[in-house]
Amino acid sequence: MNNADLASDATRKRKLREGALLLPIFGAFLLISPLITVFTGATTLFGLPLIFVYIFGVWLGLVLIARAMARRLDKG
Amino acid sequence: MLSLNTLIAASLGYAVLLFAIAFWAERRAQAGRIGWLRSPFVYTLSISVYCTGWTFYGAVGSAARNGFEFVTIYLGPTLVFIGWWWLLRKLLRIGRAQRITSIADLISSRYGKSTTLAVLVTLLAVIGSTPYIALQLQSITLSFSVFESGGNANLTAFWVAAGLAVFTILFGTRNVDANERHHGVVTAIAIEAVVKLVALLSVGVFVVWGIASGPAEIFAKAPPDMLRGDSIFSARWVSLTMLSAMAIITLPRMFQVIVVENSDEKHLATASWAFPGYLLLMSLFVLPIAIAGNALMPEGSNPDLYVLSLPLSQGQENLALFAFLGGFSSATSMVIIAAIALSTMVSNHIIMPLWLRFAPERPETSGDVRTILLRSRRLSIAGILLLGYLYFRLTGGSGALASIGLIAFAGMAQIIPSLLGGLFWRGATRTGALFGLLSGFILWAYTLFLPSFEGGFILSQAVIDGGPFGLSFLTPNALFGLTGYDPLVHSLFWSMTLNITLFILGSLLSTPHPLERIQASQFVDVFRLDKSTGSYLVSRSATSEDLFTLAQRILGADPAQRLFLEMAQQQGKAQGLPDATDKLVQMLERELAGSVGAASAHAMVSQVAGGGTVSVDELMKIADETAQIMEYSQQLENQSHRLELAMQELRGANAQLTEMGAQKDAFLSQVSHELRTPMTSIRSFSEILRDSDNLDLPDAKRFLGIIQDESVRLTRLLDEILDLSHLESGRGQLLLEPVALQDAIEKSLNATGALLKEAGVTVESALPEGHVMVTANFDRLAQVFINLISNTVKYGRGKSPKLTIGLTLSESMAIITMADNGPGIAAADRKKVFEKFTRLSEASLAGSAGLGLPISREIMRNLQGDLTLKPSRQGAVFEVSIPLA
Repeated sequence: MNNADLASDATRKRKLREGALLLPIFGAFLLISPLITVFTGATTLFGLPLIFVYIFGVWLGLVLIARAMARRLDKG
Repeated sequence: MLSLNTLIAASLGYAVLLFAIAFWAERRAQAGRIGWLRSPFVYTLSISVYCTGWTFYGAVGSAARNGFEFVTIYLGPTLVFIGWWWLLRKLLRIGRAQRITSIADLISSRYGKSTTLAVLVTLLAVIGSTPYIALQLQSITLSFSVFESGGNANLTAFWVAAGLAVFTILFGTRNVDANERHHGVVTAIAIEAVVKLVALLSVGVFVVWGIASGPAEIFAKAPPDMLRGDSIFSARWVSLTMLSAMAIITLPRMFQVIVVENSDEKHLATASWAFPGYLLLMSLFVLPIAIAGNALMPEGSNPDLYVLSLPLSQGQENLALFAFLGGFSSATSMVIIAAIALSTMVSNHIIMPLWLRFAPERPETSGDVRTILLRSRRLSIAGILLLGYLYFRLTGGSGALASIGLIAFAGMAQIIPSLLGGLFWRGATRTGALFGLLSGFILWAYTLFLPSFEGGFILSQAVIDGGPFGLSFLTPNALFGLTGYDPLVHSLFWSMTLNITLFILGSLLSTPHPLERIQASQFVDVFRLDKSTGSYLVSRSATSEDLFTLAQRILGADPAQRLFLEMAQQQGKAQGLPDATDKLVQMLERELAGSVGAASAHAMVSQVAGGGTVSVDELMKIADETAQIMEYSQQLENQSHRLELAMQELRGANAQLTEMGAQKDAFLSQVSHELRTPMTSIRSFSEILRDSDNLDLPDAKRFLGIIQDESVRLTRLLDEILDLSHLESGRGQLLLEPVALQDAIEKSLNATGALLKEAGVTVESALPEGHVMVTANFDRLAQVFINLISNTVKYGRGKSPKLTIGLTLSESMAIITMADNGPGIAAADRKKVFEKFTRLSEASLAGSAGLGLPISREIMRNLQGDLTLKPSRQGAVFEVSIPLA
């Protein structure tokens, strides 16, 4: 591994850690901000209320991103 | 219909299964075959103790009443866990490094191992958890009542509490393990986690695809305002999410499973996504079950029990039984872990300190501390469950219990400012934490906890409605006129505001004592500290025998022996006890902290070590040692700096010597060259005179004349060299006398008069009237002037040659300038003119060996004056300075 690789590796790790900080903030923005009211209309999606799809969709997304990040953070 | 007997048989059978699993896991762990008992998934499942009976049954009830709001209780922990890298990881690392046994221990340890804080947090945890335990008992008795109404609820609750106490004592206090981990309990909890998840999912699948034909049909039955925007996003929505986020860290049972029972920091990485995933699955079917219950169940049925009553109403008895076991699992796992966590706190922070204070003997000589510790823990567990049962008896069936879950959350959330502050802010102090915690708790109790009894406890209904003594601005639910908010939001706002404010102000206005400062840096910089180094904790007067006795009493004989042997080996001793070094004392204190908590361990070891807490003197000494080391290294640095300087000087001197040697060589070769020229002509003319027989007289005379001239020149040269070396060595003391400067200049002008006239140089002298008297040697001074004037004649002739002589007087010196209007001297040559044998151009006249200026300068220096060449725009300007008489 040469120096450039080491440097870019360090940058990658730093970004990963910063991402780990930003993920809950991003999650909070999606889940406990007035943004939610956008999805509370009477619309349905696949027979499910839009808000149901939104909250569980965001939730699942956060779990999947956290999983991907946890694996990398754990290694690095 | 399922009979009560079947239910009891099922519960007992399930309990026996759990006992067996716990027993098996404990045996396995003792044999050292831990294997998957420590897998990250077991860890994740054990965290699911967060989902209690209250959430298992209550979430559906909450959804039936308030729609989507139930989900906030799961979203908060989700946000905390996906941000594990920044908070939970640090918490775990500190927990491991400091051997933290509970949330009270953490707070106490951070703020200088303060017993006061430990007791405060313990009391608050007990106050907050007792109703919560009662709530679990209620959920179990309620679930029984679904199957068989008219059973004795109190009796059921009693037997459940007793059974849980036995299980907890059996598996929670098997040993005073220094690691404070309970493999049996954790494994049982993990199994329960699977049972409750599968149970809830089964009920959900049955409701959605068994009763209805799919989710679309279910949601079509939902009341239209159930999922409206204003019922979802509100201050309460945000507050509840934040509250549950705080609770996941501070609830005693959560701290127990996340931090204390954790065996490997890496497991957290898995839990960070797996636990939010678990919560997602737990809440996926809550809303459909609630909607179906509302639509299908008769008017007036309890929404909290839809999970059981819905399958039952459809004739699904086995599913209902399974759901019952799920609820049973949720409730029992919470009670077990909470009892373990609380008993640890109570025995470590309340019973042990009291015993330490009132025990007649010192810990190393009194009876087996270990037995006392185990006994106090068992008693605490029984006591806590008894408290929960009594609470249930006193308030059972009242609506007060329903909201107690969130109220307990809000109470424990008061720890958050001190906890986060302690983790990330070095300046947080014990005083600040104490004020913040106390104020937060008092406000919480006043605005939320006491009013929840609806006038039944301390606060009367009149006070709750109108404020104490008719002071309406002190109304618990509308403090200072803040009305129109949900009581929970209202209470959270005031208690947190005051808590945070006093925490920060108290920290800023107080000075932490030394141990606090040490602990602060151990917590805040936990990732930067080397694992092996600890803090200075106690003084060094302990003997290793005393420490060994103490360790035996608390850890048990075998573990203590293992620990000390290991230390002895580390110290390089083949046998015997290790030396009572600081490191041993620190390590022992940490090991003991794992059993009795940091504050008690510190107190015990300090008693044995005889030093008490670190005194200020002690710290000063430590600081002194550090200062000495720093001073010493400073001295070394200075010395090496001085050496460096000396080296530089030596190098400079060496360079000068080398240069001087080179100059000497150059001088010698110059001198020989200068001597050689006249000698050559003398020799050649004398040879002609000797060898030529027919040389006529005029020629001979001419030749003799040349020989004569050359020998005169030779003599003069030698005189000059002698003169110069004389002057340079400073041996030739010049006779000093008062000299009239004008006379000396006059004499030199007279002496060079012919020369000047011949060269056509006009002299312009601007000398002041009267005599300026200087201290000098008249002849030598005149010699310098003559030299300068003749130099001008030789080199400084311009078109109409002119010599300007000036005189200025300073305080102690007379300064004579001699300026010509010739070509001047190039800047690069200015230094050279004072070197020996330097002739700047080929225009040198015969008879000058180039020693004039060096000799003149030497003379002036010997006269305490100087001769310099001034930079000028035109011509050469020499300046002669000489002291006034």
